[in-house]
Amino acid sequence: MFRYESLEDCPLDEDEDAFQGLGEEDEEIDQFNDDTFGSGAVDDDWQEAHERLAELEEKLPVAADEQTGNGERDEMDLLGDHEENLAERLSKMVIENELEDPAIMRAVQTRPVLQPQPGSLNSSIWDGSEVLRRIRGPLLAQEMPTVSVLEYALPQRPLQGPEDDRDLSERALPRRSTSPIIGSPPVRAVPIGTPPKQMAVPSFNQQILCPKPVHVRPPMPPRYPAPYGERISPNQLCSVPNSSLLGHPFPPNVPPVLSPLQRAQLLGGAQLQPGRMSPSQFARVPGFVGSPLAAMNPKLLQGRVGQMLPPAPSFRAFFSAPPPATPPPQQHPPGPGPHLQNLRPQAPMFRADTTHLHPQHRRLLHQRQLQSRNQHRNLNGTGDRGGHQSSHQDHLRKDPYANLMLQREKDWVSKIQMMQLQSTDPYLDDFYYQNYFEKLEKLSAAEEIQGDGPKKERTKLITPQVAKLEHAYQPVQFEGSLGKLTVSSVNNPRKMIDAVVTSRSEDDETKEKQVRDKRRKTLVIIEKTYSLLLDVEDYERRYLLSLEEERPALMDERKHKICSMYDNLRGKLPGQERPSDDHFVQIMCIRKGKRMVARILPFLSTEQAADILMATARNLPFLIKKDAQDEVLPCLLSPFSLLLYHLPSVTVTSLLQQLMNLPQSASAPAPSNSHLTAVLQNKFGLSLLLILLSRGEDLQSSDPAIESTQNNQWTEVMFMATRELLRIPQAALAKPISIPTNLVSLFSRYVDRQKLNLLETKLQLVQGIR
Amino acid sequence: MNYMPGTASLIEDIDKKHLVLLRDGRTLIGFLRSIDQFANLVLHQTVERIHVGKKYGDIPRGIFVVRGENVVLLGEIDLEKESDTPLQQVSIEEILEEQRVQQQTRLEAEKLKVQTLKDRGLSIPRADTLDEY
Repeated sequence: MFRYESLEDCPLDEDEDAFQGLGEEDEEIDQFNDDTFGSGAVDDDWQEAHERLAELEEKLPVAADEQTGNGERDEMDLLGDHEENLAERLSKMVIENELEDPAIMRAVQTRPVLQPQPGSLNSSIWDGSEVLRRIRGPLLAQEMPTVSVLEYALPQRPLQGPEDDRDLSERALPRRSTSPIIGSPPVRAVPIGTPPKQMAVPSFNQQILCPKPVHVRPPMPPRYPAPYGERISPNQLCSVPNSSLLGHPFPPNVPPVLSPLQRAQLLGGAQLQPGRMSPSQFARVPGFVGSPLAAMNPKLLQGRVGQMLPPAPSFRAFFSAPPPATPPPQQHPPGPGPHLQNLRPQAPMFRADTTHLHPQHRRLLHQRQLQSRNQHRNLNGTGDRGGHQSSHQDHLRKDPYANLMLQREKDWVSKIQMMQLQSTDPYLDDFYYQNYFEKLEKLSAAEEIQGDGPKKERTKLITPQVAKLEHAYQPVQFEGSLGKLTVSSVNNPRKMIDAVVTSRSEDDETKEKQVRDKRRKTLVIIEKTYSLLLDVEDYERRYLLSLEEERPALMDERKHKICSMYDNLRGKLPGQERPSDDHFVQIMCIRKGKRMVARILPFLSTEQAADILMATARNLPFLIKKDAQDEVLPCLLSPFSLLLYHLPSVTVTSLLQQLMNLPQSASAPAPSNSHLTAVLQNKFGLSLLLILLSRGEDLQSSDPAIESTQNNQWTEVMFMATRELLRIPQAALAKPISIPTNLVSLFSRYVDRQKLNLLETKLQLVQGIR
Repeated sequence: MNYMPGTASLIEDIDKKHLVLLRDGRTLIGFLRSIDQFANLVLHQTVERIHVGKKYGDIPRGIFVVRGENVVLLGEIDLEKESDTPLQQVSIEEILEEQRVQQQTRLEAEKLKVQTLKDRGLSIPRADTLDEY
């Protein structure tokens, strides 16, 4: 009983102020809903879909337009013969009250009435809601709608009369407002798991109507099915609240209409405006039917209707359109009236939510949309049937169950899938997709260069990029209360464990690490450095994406990171002039470390890289020993050889000295140099040595003006290297990765013919074996 | 409609005839009527097809709602080539009997294998315990 009374309670002539007040309240409610379900969530009515299916089965006859003067009377007819008497009795009981209400009077006077064929309502699908059955009648008493977006969201458009100014449907539970996330899929995104229901027009909600937040209501259970002509919008429902009582089997002693006092009691003291209902009250009103668009101010709607386009062809079109084989038995098609079908705007090529797409995607989408549109047209039987039809479409037309999943629902699923692509950093979240498209682009670019085929547009990959939304939840707090009322929601999930993260200072960590073994410490350093490396490698991309004025800062940042990478490698502590090699050697003992050094080298400055190279050369025998299992040292060769081309001859000479374990100014080397022997016996060592020799020789020959002391030094080292090369038995010599081409001429300057041949055979042989 | 290339979507497969292989090894054939983002499927006019050797049998199942996680693979059936198969259709009873026999044989072979391994001091974990991950 109570709920009907509350339904009745809707104020009829609410002025603009009251309306605004409602809007504010709804905003709050909306906020609560947002907190609970997350932004972008939208309610949807699965029942509507269900009804459609039911209709499909039952093929309800459709009410014919007929004009009668009396909406209330009309309703009786709607109820069908068997209920007529009861309804009539009840309505008589109520009418008196209703007539006191000016709004109803107006409605009665102004509304032409749709009179459906008697008996059309007796179908079982009507059995769901007693109340709705009663209210339905007067609501039909409205002129056929002109085309508007509402027709896509609602079965029928609300009255355009003065009553439109009060949007009573506002008072139903607020529907999820949609958050204006750029690039987000349709605002009418739905809580996952809820099937789509309303034909909401997301971009429309969001962009056109958003001077005011859009309030939407959750679905109310007793959705009544109605053939098209008989459907009513929530607005309509609300605009004739009293009528809801019409057919209701009240016990005669209960006054169907509440006195103002009763009203006030019902609504509670807090709500001073008559007719304002709290959400909970609404929840009890079965007659309120959620609809996103119904929530919008009709005034606003009126002005914009022309601009608004429905997102997809109306489902009605192909759901209720009879199959081609069987012409409709009714006078009026159950689908949207002919006016609607004709005027149904072309679905926009691309909606706002597709604008972030890659042009290629958009082209694809476009094609698909065209295809599906053709398909639908064929299905509707309204399209050009002579056009091309695939066997699939033929099949679809034969299949009465085809398209049970509406385009809208398909869109909905697609949108969810699209939502998952939203990202604040696509490169990070969606690395493979990004790279896939980069690859595609490169491919198409390459094709273009080859010049075959028409010139394709060069495209830049744009993926949905969303600013991170911060949801700082603040628990509701009441004045003078103890504690806070925390509501858990998607944005503020209930904390299972309230763990406090205490970040320990770097000192603590290092202290702890000292206790642990050295190897672990090294591993940690490698990981840290790797993160730096990945960051640094990313800077190129970031640089390209950044604005002009941000670039210097980026460059600085990058430089800083490179420096700290180097410091990490060398284990340099601040203030310490020359770090020991120990740290570096530790890193180089670990495979990952070696690979990392190879990757870092190109980023380092020449001096830094040379220092790394020196350290490597100095400790090469040890490193070689450690590398026996991994054999990843050769990966260092190419960055090293690249580096060598930037080094001056002094450095090259000293490098060679390091490699041969000579003191900086060596004069009397040990007869047998174990250091060098070890180097020569290793693939990487020998390759490095040969490259060094080759580079040094290049420098010597290309720059004759070089200082004589330096020249002498080089020659000296060179002699020793050659001697060692000659001395080492052939079998012990490793296979170098590559042999520089100028080696023979190089050796010819330092050794005689015989020895040169020997050297040559040694190295050539080695090469031959490879 | 708008989903991005490079992502998979079943939307285009809707209302086409599909074969769905489930995780428990069952094979369903039916018209895909509805999907969602979890690949939950609604199959219409479904038959469960049992293959044994060169024979197969269809058990009518009607509407089949499949939870997405159970889908191993699914693919469209070319309606034109559907009947173009070397397999022979037999009655339900027959195929069930065939299946029973096949499972019996398989079970015995399995037992024998386990026994043989056991004799040699080896043991392999039972298949059903392997499932528990």
